[in-house]
Amino acid sequence: MPALTDDAAPGAASVSHGRSDEPGAAWRDALVVVGLASPFVLGVVALTLGFYQIGVLDVMRSLLSPLVPEAAAEVPEIARRLVLDVRLPRVLAALLIGAGLAVTGVVFQGIFTNPLVDSGLLGVTAGAGFGAALVMLIGGGSVMIQVAAFAFGLLAVTLAFLGSRLYRTAPTIVLTLMGILIGSFFASLTSLLKYLADPLDTLPAITFWLLGGLTGVSWRSVPLLLVLTVIGSAFFLLVRWRLNVLSMGDAEATALGMNPQRIKVMLIVAATLVTAVAVSVGGVIGWVGLVIPHAARMLVGPDHLRLVPMSLALGASFLLTIDTVSRSLLPSEVPLGVLTGLIGVPLLIALLRRQGTGW
Amino acid sequence: MSAHKLQATDVTFGYDPKVPVVKGVSVHVDAGEVVFLLGHNGSGKTSLLTCLNGVQRASAGRITIDGRDVYTMTPAERAQRIGMIPQTHVAVFGYDVIDVVLMGRAPHLSTFSAPTREDRAIAVESLDRVGLADFQRRRYTQLSGGERQLVMVARGLTQRCDVLLMDEPDAHLDPRNQFRVLEVVSDLARDHGLSFVVSSHAPNSALMFADRVLLLRRGHTLALGTVEETLTEPLLTEAYSMPTEVVSKVVNGRRAPRAILPRRIDRVPEGVATLALEPDALERPDSALARMVEASRSRPQRVLITGNSGSGKSRWCERLVALAHRREWRVAGVLSPPAMRDGRKIAIDLLDLATDERRRLAELRRGPSDEGPATERWRFDEDTLTWGDEALRRAAATAADLVVVDELGPLEFQRGIGLVAGLELVDALTSGVACVVVRPSLLETALKRWPDALVIDVED
Repeated sequence: MPALTDDAAPGAASVSHGRSDEPGAAWRDALVVVGLASPFVLGVVALTLGFYQIGVLDVMRSLLSPLVPEAAAEVPEIARRLVLDVRLPRVLAALLIGAGLAVTGVVFQGIFTNPLVDSGLLGVTAGAGFGAALVMLIGGGSVMIQVAAFAFGLLAVTLAFLGSRLYRTAPTIVLTLMGILIGSFFASLTSLLKYLADPLDTLPAITFWLLGGLTGVSWRSVPLLLVLTVIGSAFFLLVRWRLNVLSMGDAEATALGMNPQRIKVMLIVAATLVTAVAVSVGGVIGWVGLVIPHAARMLVGPDHLRLVPMSLALGASFLLTIDTVSRSLLPSEVPLGVLTGLIGVPLLIALLRRQGTGW
Repeated sequence: MSAHKLQATDVTFGYDPKVPVVKGVSVHVDAGEVVFLLGHNGSGKTSLLTCLNGVQRASAGRITIDGRDVYTMTPAERAQRIGMIPQTHVAVFGYDVIDVVLMGRAPHLSTFSAPTREDRAIAVESLDRVGLADFQRRRYTQLSGGERQLVMVARGLTQRCDVLLMDEPDAHLDPRNQFRVLEVVSDLARDHGLSFVVSSHAPNSALMFADRVLLLRRGHTLALGTVEETLTEPLLTEAYSMPTEVVSKVVNGRRAPRAILPRRIDRVPEGVATLALEPDALERPDSALARMVEASRSRPQRVLITGNSGSGKSRWCERLVALAHRREWRVAGVLSPPAMRDGRKIAIDLLDLATDERRRLAELRRGPSDEGPATERWRFDEDTLTWGDEALRRAAATAADLVVVDELGPLEFQRGIGLVAGLELVDALTSGVACVVVRPSLLETALKRWPDALVIDVED
């Protein structure tokens, strides 16, 4: 974190319509620190939960065992295997996907100066859905599905981007429009594939994939997800202060000495890679990229210096919590995309009510 | 090169290169100076501003700051020297005021760094300078328009640049806030040597706060100079295509302009004594008109015929001419009878009273026009104007009993084109009666020129 000044208590007496109850900078910084700790705490808790309950100490010992083999000497082998081979990849995937979807939502809202968009805006999700459905229809394996989802996600955004180059004026508006068009096009193609699919076998598979979920996640899914999400997030963290300037619009960013087009292209590429890999592993998980940025803004304000790390942490915690509840507390596992919607929409409505004016 | 802080030379710019909106404009700003850009909507003010700060690239001309060409600088270098304060707008996200002001440090920081403690100190100091020291933790979106504008000024100060461009800082602000913002601008210029270029739709703001004014009209420079040189009735009338009145007041023994007001076209100014007379009054020996004709044998008599548009000024003159012909007077000059269709005036003709020859003078204007003789409503035929001008020159050479000049308008009085021979004729009148048709908005101008004239108000 960059150095922050210790601001005096807000709300001078002369302020007539200011928010005197607004938390000060120190309070917001503290919230970010707590937020950043939450995925780690929740991660350990999630590893204990499941049909086979494992104690916190055993979870910690199991986590240490790859480095210090004698640490897990007293842990039953089945518990150790459950933690390391079954639950850990799924917990990691939930954390990384949640963080990735949330932070790219923040980035897209900032660069498109619109608090109502997420990183699916340019068609990455629709493209990935089509890629996955296509492979399922022709009978590819899970790795093939991931690769195709990732590739078609990137293809959709690339098409939207090339399409927007056809017009020279108002690049942002045209890019948004192209994203919506390309997204709709791929959604139609996916519908066509579903229509063609075997209704007893392939159609349910496609439908379940599109609903999102981490049921099939194994260690094989994690490396690319980990690498792209970490690199992307690191980039967002490094340039996060610039997002403040970009969110004021291109004209002001230019007047403040930036080349908004160049940095926006870099941000869109990074956000698309992160989103594409998240969708390729977890399927279509909606609402995280919209709800979490707003929740984070409510907690720490719109300043991207705090908003970007807070969204990473909140997104990771949110998706992990939902996935853990889904797999360990509910009688039967409900698709993630359904749960994020069922929880996310009422949450967003509640946030909008609290928010009042301004984001 | 020059010693000017910011200098633009022959700048031409258009969003579509074929349709320039700024045409060969030159202007400079010195340290500590406030220069206002005034002009109608679409006159090129904002486009010129965006060229000055290098956001748009001029297609021709040169812009330098401290002698360095702005287009050879990187965007960050430019932003360290020239700041742009946008029109009042509502940001999408409700940043704290201090965070908005901090954005001014962007040109001084690398892409991957965030503001340091020193940057924050600069931002706090800038807020203090615009009088908003207590506003650090207020939400930008919840401020009043005037406060937002001052926050933008503070952001400009945080940029540490010495030229600040402001796009209509007084738009959407109530009079108190307009005054407050411009007062801060004026203080910063005077006390800290900052230079400001301010585009505005409020000539009165320029009157109060400008050191110099650039008047733009359709992308061209109409005038550039001090307030006294530029904010004059003829120039403002032309700049806004609207009759304008400059009210002045004597301050410290000098008459200084104090307010700029639009002038109602169809109203005879207060304090001008008028007579309501029909041409038939000529038949009554004791009427003012008859006595004036009598007096005209020994000394020239000037009459201004005025009245609302459509009140029948031309018809009044026609009737007078008919009476004069019946008395076998020598009549000269020009009449401009309307050409009507469906009860509407669609064109104006010009009639040479000496020869009875008639030509089409003007037609309704369709769309804007850049050059040439035109007023708000009419586009004039240049050949007919030349022909009419010649007719009036001949009329001046003949010793006529009655000369009619219908009419002298903004072309002649303000731009010195059109029937200027009519002006000279009335100026140099040695005997006889000269009747000049003048619209009410030009009556004061005409009376300044011919103070002895009798004014006849033709009522509907």
